Amino acid sequence: MPLIVIAEDEFLLADVLSIMLEDAGYEVASASHGKAALTLVKQKLPALVITDFMMPLMTGLELAQAMRADATLSSIPIVLVSGAQGSIGRAHPEVFDAVLDKPYREKTLIATVAGLIGNR
Amino acid sequence: MTQALARLQTGVPGLDAVLGGGLVIGASYILQGHPGAGKTIFANQIAFKTAEKGSKALYVTLLAETHERLFQALGTLEFFDISRLGIDVTYVSVFQTLRDEGLSAVVKLIRQEIARQGATLLVFDGLLNARDRADTQLDVKTFVAEVQSQAAFVGCTVLFLTSSRIAEESPEHTMVDGVIDLHNELSGVRAVRRLQVKKSRGTAALGGHHQFEITSDGVAVFPRVEALLAHTSVPDHAPTGSVSSGTGGFDALVGGGLPEGSVSLVFGPSGSGKTSLGINFLSLATQEQPALHFGFYETPARLRGKAAALGVDFEGLIKNGALEMIWNPMTENLLDKLGHRLLDAVRERGVKRLLIDGLGGFERGAVYQPRMVEFFAALTNELRALNVTTITTWELRDLFGPTVTAPGSEISSLLDNLVMLRHVEIGSRYKRTVSVLKVRDRAFEPIIHEIGFGPGGMEVRAALELVAGAATGLAQGPA
Repeated sequence: MPLIVIAEDEFLLADVLSIMLEDAGYEVASASHGKAALTLVKQKLPALVITDFMMPLMTGLELAQAMRADATLSSIPIVLVSGAQGSIGRAHPEVFDAVLDKPYREKTLIATVAGLIGNR
Repeated sequence: MTQALARLQTGVPGLDAVLGGGLVIGASYILQGHPGAGKTIFANQIAFKTAEKGSKALYVTLLAETHERLFQALGTLEFFDISRLGIDVTYVSVFQTLRDEGLSAVVKLIRQEIARQGATLLVFDGLLNARDRADTQLDVKTFVAEVQSQAAFVGCTVLFLTSSRIAEESPEHTMVDGVIDLHNELSGVRAVRRLQVKKSRGTAALGGHHQFEITSDGVAVFPRVEALLAHTSVPDHAPTGSVSSGTGGFDALVGGGLPEGSVSLVFGPSGSGKTSLGINFLSLATQEQPALHFGFYETPARLRGKAAALGVDFEGLIKNGALEMIWNPMTENLLDKLGHRLLDAVRERGVKRLLIDGLGGFERGAVYQPRMVEFFAALTNELRALNVTTITTWELRDLFGPTVTAPGSEISSLLDNLVMLRHVEIGSRYKRTVSVLKVRDRAFEPIIHEIGFGPGGMEVRAALELVAGAATGLAQGPA
């Protein structure tokens, strides 16, 4: 079962996202801000990371940039889910493999995740 | 020597005046009110206005509601700018941190976030949730104390948002520098929003209730006129000039024109000529001495038509800037909003000639009637200080009859000049009459005169024949 790390400060969104991914057959670990997520990613070396943009201590962009700069993490696919900052994410195609605007559809999300994990 | 505290302008119209200049920089405030009272809109408006001025705002929530839903709701408001999100207005949720690690971890996280963002404004939404989580009252007290002292160290102003279930004697109230209370309550069948500054440390705020409204422009506060203008905004003076009324023969009745900078009340029943007198008064508007029609009854379109029928070109006066017409439909008005709208319009164009048609429009807008005397006192004092010559109207309820109900006697005494218009029945004929009852500090003509309409509109004609009881409209034959 592939492991996915979620970086999301809003617990409702983190919870819903976890449930959707678990239902789709993934294992999920979540962190409530970017810094905690980076620690988690280093520990678990997940198959994929889903991150929010606006979070305490480290934004989703900073998290993705830190991962890309780290040789052991740089190949992990990263999906940005964001309402307002989707355009910032799209301006950084070198760090994000996909950008989903909130609110997103469950189907779209699962298809995106499956596509990225299957590619590797 | 007293020292003025540095202020953060809130960008909420009227709020800075209520707060005595704005929020004190580095101070902390509780913004409280029941759900729906407007706390979130207040706080977000202040956050976005802070960002517009080049500073950064940090919005920390402990709420179950997602930020996305908040943004959807805020998206309908003018001040909300989605392009600032995550750049100079940042929203972070600390709910999970609180749940997993407790209040002290939240404090630490907030401290790091303020520094990371370089925030000068911190909004903490959900103090009540923090209380639910705290094991003792001491925990929240410590939490508030720690957040505010850390913020103060970096000059960051703090707004704690909470539903108003925190008692006044609670430690949170004791510790913060200010408490702003928001209310949404029913008055009769209408809803009225009110704001009250319950605590304001080291600075004089305007006490009591102030009405506010929330529109697509965001929040606007209307400080109570009599509180804001307890003293006039400019020193009063004693002008000695006269201003023509524009109605032929009328100036002679009041001793050579209306005293400059005076407030006159023209009262009479419907159809007695109040509007015509007003139209004549406004017809003398010039670009140098601009005029304002502030009305409640007739729409500008109808008034332009009426003026045209009397040979007065309002259209032209409006076009060249000599005249402005502001119509306030007699629907659900807010008294202080009306007062500020009037004074703002007067100040903006340097209005010297003002017609208020009529005082009843203000009275209907008052939620709390007993304050009308203080309201009118502040309003008329300010108009005099601004050297505006004002005519106001008052409609008498009865076309005829012995009772002449002028606005409350206390209000009449605030007015400089009193003029009565009546229909008088003499020998089965109705005659329109005018009588001057009072002109401040000036001799006037105490004889009732007839009025009529000539090519130049309404004009004062000969003295009325000698009858008794003309003032009631019920003449009783030769006196």
